Order: sequence, then structure tokens, then C-alpha cells
Amino acid sequence: MHIPDGYLSPETCVLFGTVMIPIWTAASKAVKKTLSVRQVPFLAIGAAFSFVIMMFNVPIPGGSTGHAVGGVLVAVLLGPWAACIAVTVALVIQALLFGDGGITAIGANCFNMAFVLPFSGYYVYKFISSGSQASSGRRVIAAGAGAYVGICMAALCTGIEFGLQPLLYHRANGQALYSPYGLNVAVPTMVLAHLVVFGWVEVIVTALVVKYLQKQNAVFFEGGRS
Amino acid sequence: MRNKLHKRRDFIERSTLSALAFLKDATFAEEYANCKGFLQSLDPRFKTITFLLFLITAVSLKSAVLIGSLYGVCLTLALLSSIPVAHFLTRTLLFIPLFSLTIVLPTLFSVVTPGEPVWSFHCLGIHGVITRPGLDGALLFVVRIATSVSLIVLLSITTRHSELLKVLRVFGIPQIFVLTVSMCYRYLFLFATMVENIFTAVKSRVGILSHRQHGQQVVAWNIANTWNRTTQMSEEVYMAMLSRGYTGEPRLLSEFQATPKDWVWLVCAVILCAGLFYKGYTL
Repeated sequence: MHIPDGYLSPETCVLFGTVMIPIWTAASKAVKKTLSVRQVPFLAIGAAFSFVIMMFNVPIPGGSTGHAVGGVLVAVLLGPWAACIAVTVALVIQALLFGDGGITAIGANCFNMAFVLPFSGYYVYKFISSGSQASSGRRVIAAGAGAYVGICMAALCTGIEFGLQPLLYHRANGQALYSPYGLNVAVPTMVLAHLVVFGWVEVIVTALVVKYLQKQNAVFFEGGRS
Repeated sequence: MRNKLHKRRDFIERSTLSALAFLKDATFAEEYANCKGFLQSLDPRFKTITFLLFLITAVSLKSAVLIGSLYGVCLTLALLSSIPVAHFLTRTLLFIPLFSLTIVLPTLFSVVTPGEPVWSFHCLGIHGVITRPGLDGALLFVVRIATSVSLIVLLSITTRHSELLKVLRVFGIPQIFVLTVSMCYRYLFLFATMVENIFTAVKSRVGILSHRQHGQQVVAWNIANTWNRTTQMSEEVYMAMLSRGYTGEPRLLSEFQATPKDWVWLVCAVILCAGLFYKGYTL
């Protein structure tokens, strides 16, 4: 899901960077309103948590393993705006310090994983779980469904971003200058892989974690955050 | 049975390895950042700006030869900065560029990229034709990605991570965000060690007898437990910040100091990028 440098044209990178600026500004304002000064370390540690989720490998059918992105889980626990900042911080650290995901593609990566993923997943969760008790089983299903929708929506956006590259940026002889596959290949490849495999990893992790937290500390699900 | 055991052990070891890889990468980076070398001697602000300039140049150029020359500059800088070339090449070429090469392979053929044939072959009854546009496109794509990844890795391993995060201020990023990033980075070490310990403990208790479904529950329980520790820790961290005089307005210590060498390096980098852009434009 992390787009490296060189897959997207500079114009696309600038576009997504520009799109993300008002989102980050709105997220900062929303978080300032809902989180007190006391919770600044909470945000930092929440960002570290969203980074660390990717270190947990989950066994999946076929003997292989996969890891979750955890964006929807963080959104369910912190609220979508705080999740946007937490995932952005994790993505910045991954790109800048570990070369995982591009620096020039940071706007696109944040759009997919820090905006589309937590927001779409969170609102699906809110819709399904509305009116339910903090310890209700419906919340577990809602979190799983949100995680699945969130990751698939993010994959769809990534596929569209890849697929538009050869259409918009190519030489006169048709040679692609960036990501080489059009929408007809990039979108199904990205979406199918997430519908069939990675989406389920996200569902398993998010739903089970919500289930455990309901048992241990149901306070996380009482009242709304941001 | 052996296969079954192998499958069951996988997720525990892979999680441990993920945590260890993070710690190893961070330790290696600090080790090289503390070496004496050309890039290590530069002001982190100037170094970051010039590397971003190189990166933008690499992403913008449309000639594999010109991007390749930038890659040559990157390797020379690595050599001048006491980075072992074998380690650098392994770290930069093995993962993303190799993966990108695999992705781009089908575009070599006339079925995906029609054009002037360069080489044709028969294999298992299949007639394959590699075309000029396909070859050029694949070369450009892989060289660009290898160069971009190499530039970022070189920047990150020749700069102390704490300094690299502070450089974010140069780009006008709000101090609260820089503080959050810096704090997050520090806690990553703690969490990575926590993940490693968790899975060492899991392995010592369940060994290799964990079923897949049980394995999923173990992972979920541990993520939930990590979250609980996170919330407890944030309270303790806030109390520690208060006891050290935190008033709600973050202040970052240590200022950077530019030397004439940094300015010369900046001018050289700008000239190099301008030259590459000019050459790319006239090609």
C-alpha cells in the first residue's frame, strides 16, 4: 500500500500534497478541540501504536502471514481526525527514516492511508454500531466491516492513482513515464488483492482487538471521540 | 507434520523479526551517522534540502541515463561518507527496486507495450517479443526507483534520526507536529522491544503448538494489551513532562549551525540539479 518514490509523477505528488494540507489543518483543529494538552503524549504514543501494529504478523489461511495497517482500529479508538494525524506521523517516520513509502509520494500515501482509510472505515463503524452498547457484539462486527471497507477503499484510491499515470504521463510513442499499468490493470490488481487477502487480515485484527478491549476496558467505546 | 510446524511457527518469528528489523535499522543508521565522513559533516538542514532537491530531480527527469548519473553521485557520496558499498547496495537494491523490476517485467513485451522489436524468442511454444519502448520504459522506471530509494536511505543513515526529525521545522511544519513525531519515534524503540518480548514470551509458552485461529487471537490480544499499555504510558509521560517544566508550549533543544562548507555544498547541488534539468530539457 505504501507508494514509493518514482511510481507517481511530480504533478500527482504535488496535487495530493495540496489536497492533504487542508485535511491536516482541519485534523489539527479538530484534535486541539477534543484532546487536551494532557493528551499530546497520547497522540504521539498513539502514532507509535499505529506504526507498531504493522509489526504484528497474523497467521492467515495457507500457512502464510500478513500484517494489518490498523488505520480503522486507531480511528475507532482515537476518532478519525486524531487517527489521521497518528497515521500521518507514522507514515512520515517510515518514509523519512526507513525509506518505506516515498517522500515525494507522502501526500498520496497520507491521502490513502491517513484520510480515506480511517474516515471511510470509521463512518462504516459508526453507521453499523450506532445505538449499540459499549460491550455490544455489534461493535465488533462494525469494527471488522469498517476495517474491510477502509482498506479496500484505500486500495481502490491507490489503484486509481497508479492507473492514471500511464494515461496522463507518457511519451509520444506511448511509453509510460511512471507507474506503467493503466486503470484496467492497476485497479483490479490492487482491489482484488485487498478484497481477497489483506482486507481479511485487517478484519481479523480490528474485530478481535475491539472484542478484547471491550472485555478489558470498555471505556474506550463509551461516548464519542472527536 | 514438519510443514504444519513450520506454518505455526511463522507468525511468531515474523513478528519478532519485524521488531528486530526496526531496531537493527535504527541502530545501523545511528552507527553510520556517528562515523566521520563527508555527509555526516554537513548541517542536517542543508543536507536534507539538497537531498530533497536530488529526489525531485530524479522523479522529474525523463531520461534513464541522467537519473543514472544522479545514482552515480549518490554512490560516490556514500563512499565519501564511510558507508560500506556492499551494505548500502544490499539495503537499497534488494527490496523496492527488485520488487519494482518484477512488476515492470510484463511491460517489456509487445503484448503490453507495442513498438519496435529488440529481441524475440520462443519458449515452451510461446513467442515473446521485447520492444524498444517496453525496454526503455522499464529501465527508466527501475533506475528512477533505485535512485530515489538510495537517496533517501543515504540521507537517513548519515543523519541522526533525532536531527532529521528536527529538520522538519525548516519546512514550516508546526512545532507541535515535530514534537509529536519526535516523541513517537522515541516510543517506537520501546514498543518494538515490547513486541519482541511479547513474541519471545509467546514462543516460550506455546512453542510451536499454536493453531492458526489461536495464533490470531494471541496477536489480537497482544495488540489490545499494547494499546492498554499505551494509554497508561501516556499518562506517565505527561506527568514526566510536567515535572520537567512543560507548560503546553513545546520547545526543542539544540540549534543547527551552518558553515561555509554547507553553503558551498548547497550551491554545488543546485548547479548539479540545474545542469541535469537543462540536459534533460535539451535531450
